[in-house]
Amino acid sequence: MSDFSGMEDLLQDFLQESGDLLSDVDNKLVDLEKDPGDHRLLNDIFRGFHTIKGGAGFLNATELVKLCHLTENLFDKLRNGEMELTPELMDSIMAATQSVRSMFGELSQGVQPRPAPEEVVQAMRAALDGKAPAAEPPPAAAAAAPASAPAPAAASAPPPPAEPPAAEAASGPNWQALHAAVTGQPAAAPPPAKDEHPGGPLAVASGAGVVPETEMTPHFPPEGRRATDKPGFVGTGASTGRRAEEKAAQRESTIRVDTARLDQVLNLSGEIGLTKNRLTSLRADILAGRNDSETLHELDQAVSQLDLLVSDLQNSVMKTRMQPIGRLFQKYPRIARDLARQLGKDVELALVGEETEVDKTMIEDLADPLVHLVRNAVDHGVESPDERQIAGKPAKSIVRLEARQEGDHIVLIIADDGRGMNPERIRAKAVEKGLIREEEANTLDDRQSLNLIFLPGFSTMTQASPVSGRGVGMDVVKTNIQKLNGSIDIHSEPGKGSTFLISLPLTLAILPVLLVLLGDQPFALPLSMVREILPIEGEKMQEVGGKETLVVRGEILPVIALSRLLGWPQVRTPEYGVLMQTAERSFILSVDSFAGRDDAVIKSLDDFRPHGVAGVTTLSNGQIVLILDMKELLADLNAHIDQRLGAKHSKALELSV
Amino acid sequence: MADPKMRILVVDDFSTMRRIVRNLLKELGFANVDEAEDGAIALQKLQAGGFEFVVTDWNMPNMDGLQLLQAVRAAPALSHLPVLMITAEAKKENIIAAAQAGASGYIVKPFTAATLSEKLQKIFDKMGG
Repeated sequence: MSDFSGMEDLLQDFLQESGDLLSDVDNKLVDLEKDPGDHRLLNDIFRGFHTIKGGAGFLNATELVKLCHLTENLFDKLRNGEMELTPELMDSIMAATQSVRSMFGELSQGVQPRPAPEEVVQAMRAALDGKAPAAEPPPAAAAAAPASAPAPAAASAPPPPAEPPAAEAASGPNWQALHAAVTGQPAAAPPPAKDEHPGGPLAVASGAGVVPETEMTPHFPPEGRRATDKPGFVGTGASTGRRAEEKAAQRESTIRVDTARLDQVLNLSGEIGLTKNRLTSLRADILAGRNDSETLHELDQAVSQLDLLVSDLQNSVMKTRMQPIGRLFQKYPRIARDLARQLGKDVELALVGEETEVDKTMIEDLADPLVHLVRNAVDHGVESPDERQIAGKPAKSIVRLEARQEGDHIVLIIADDGRGMNPERIRAKAVEKGLIREEEANTLDDRQSLNLIFLPGFSTMTQASPVSGRGVGMDVVKTNIQKLNGSIDIHSEPGKGSTFLISLPLTLAILPVLLVLLGDQPFALPLSMVREILPIEGEKMQEVGGKETLVVRGEILPVIALSRLLGWPQVRTPEYGVLMQTAERSFILSVDSFAGRDDAVIKSLDDFRPHGVAGVTTLSNGQIVLILDMKELLADLNAHIDQRLGAKHSKALELSV
Repeated sequence: MADPKMRILVVDDFSTMRRIVRNLLKELGFANVDEAEDGAIALQKLQAGGFEFVVTDWNMPNMDGLQLLQAVRAAPALSHLPVLMITAEAKKENIIAAAQAGASGYIVKPFTAATLSEKLQKIFDKMGG
């Protein structure tokens, strides 16, 4: 059950808006670390916590209010110059934002947040009291806290942080008196009481025992110690905790749409309505026997117009789902900063093209792969400052996270200026790990070798670093990108750095396909994998190693019959070959014939998904066509071959799932 | 109670909060509400005329609620407008500052429709409405 029945809408709004706000705060914190005196940053961060606190109050999220209030007080002191921003304090603040985020996670599950971890609260309280964040027990005042359980909003009580005198004034009765008093004689204003001290009512993280250790505790560095002192410990906690939380809060069921875009949709649907009326009246005419050239011309016009309007409408509707990728990018500077600090590296994450718009679903599904790639770049790509100096590079390295639209594709780039990748070493490693055989390794060119890092179980670090060197991840990154009909590619130059290039379709809703025929049955192939179409001439086929191949411009390519992939009997001799290309390999798919290309509107098969079928679409004549999932089909085929040949590891370059 | 058709401007940089305030006002029968994202935008809207009441947050970028209040009081055409300040602070110096700047009322988050109604009524009474 939700703690927020009746407030779901409000909660959704709050979470979305506050989530953005918190990401913004996170980024500003990273900036602040570089320039601790920046007054504007201090103000903005202060306001961020303040705003979240205000909203949380209406949701009765007491713990969130408390935590934000405490952080806000801290920033109030910082911006007034009453306190210095020490690295230790920065850690405390970072831990606090982390707690706020995990509270958002709880809220999104419909439960009231539990208190923030005690050490987070204590450290901040200690800082506020002007002590080093040492192991000071919380002031006894905590016990006396008037457990300001905010009498479920019904009471017109001020929020928990309110102090008695102020609260009295705020609740009204003497407002006019006060007004008169202060306007009349401002000097007589009572001296500001010790408001700054978040005395008793705050920070009563009494229930720390309830907080699951895995989530929050490890992120906070042990008292007074720099995170860098103990990278492993802090690191893993931060990453797993963060990711888990983001998962929890990730799926949003609402979307914010620019009203101009919505108006456009409305306009177009209105126009379509008008055109439909025109068609209806034309139909009546035609049914009544009028089929003179003028009527037919009008019919032709109306249908063409409808064509145009519908495709415009499709575009507009698609646009309502588009969101600037900046919303996602915002989360990464903090991740990069935390990791770099643990590793003792100096890394700046440069964001480029944040305004690039991407389908909302895709933004959500990209979150994890990008986290991994960013972490990978900081951990493996970038060298330590010493190494960099020896190599004659500036100590600070730049990792670039870029998005841009290229035609009907979105391209994402994660580039570092680090040590680059060594294809030779990657090959050797893959052989050593038993992922591929030596003979296979020798046939790989450099590009294929780099792609080996996407194999499950691959990791070049001799010692698994606690951060990203566990050999899980890159394969998951790749699978996730492929699920989005995208591809990932690597460029690397030893000594200069590595670049990961992700290419994604603009939308998942419409898939350009090539329609091929097997007998009379059409099948759809994703056009993104098709490189060219060529005739298959029987005499040019060669048999290499028991497999049929064809030489195309000097390249020997295996020929695979679609009928065989599907397990259909081969009735006719295939006449055409479709040269298909995936990131790792090319092959020729032989088919009987073609029916052209089409923009398939994919109907997904949610509950029932036969192996090898990505979805279905309908042709203009109403015929249903299966969209083939080449990756699955190929994997099946390979499994089959493996079985037959009794080979153990022959899947090096296949697209296994 | 005052005229329910009264045109009210709700000023807050946090859209969730604008929605909350708007809903509460609606509960009290005030449906003629417009919104502004910060003090600067609010001032523009106010100068364009037609508003009879302002409910504003304090802490906002560009121009905060106190600056807005001061600007309203300084503008001859607007100086009569009742301005209700909303803040998360119950600090004395804030209340004093608001009072000095000429706020018509001060309300602390979170509040209910009943509290809001009470505050509004006080202001209306004072206005002699």
